[in-house]
Amino acid sequence: MYNNKKLILSIFWIVLGAVLLGLSVAEVLDSSIYAGMGGALIAIGVLQVARNLRYRKDTEYREKIDTEVSDERNRYLRMMSWSWTGYVVVLAEAVGVVAAMILGKHTVQLVLSYSVCLILAAYWISYMILKNKY
Amino acid sequence: MKNRIEEIRNRKGIRQEEFARLMGVSRQTISSLENGRYNPSIMLAYKIAKYFEMTIEEVFIFEED
Repeated sequence: MYNNKKLILSIFWIVLGAVLLGLSVAEVLDSSIYAGMGGALIAIGVLQVARNLRYRKDTEYREKIDTEVSDERNRYLRMMSWSWTGYVVVLAEAVGVVAAMILGKHTVQLVLSYSVCLILAAYWISYMILKNKY
Repeated sequence: MKNRIEEIRNRKGIRQEEFARLMGVSRQTISSLENGRYNPSIMLAYKIAKYFEMTIEEVFIFEED
């Protein structure tokens, strides 16, 4: 689950966060969004490093994480959750397209329409790939 | 799909946690299997049947909906 690649990635997030925060404090980047983003990246990176180190040292924790990740019911639940999320997002966006059309918000309507098309295209491509794989 | 996992497990005196560890799944998975809320993959069904030294048909009762 937690390997060297993930540890390097976590350290990368910390470095990137520190750079963003530093540039924001030095007013090179003129938005507080970057400072917030930097802080969040540092927090995520530190949390991931801590988890990674615990995973390496604590055998019980390692077994727990490995079981959680490889557990077939968990995998099934994750898959179903993504499936439901996809349905909900497409339906919500489709409703949004109609609502935007009624309200005369043409830019919103266009963006939502493109988004629905993009998701449906991604679904179709995924289906084609999986059809050939299985 | 119904199954006899709980009955056989209890007969063998194995706790859910221990059985889950032996099967390489979470305790919740065993609980869901026993309650009939989740149907296992063929690999897990085989592993469970093999552990009980039974056939899959003896552990899992197939019922057409």
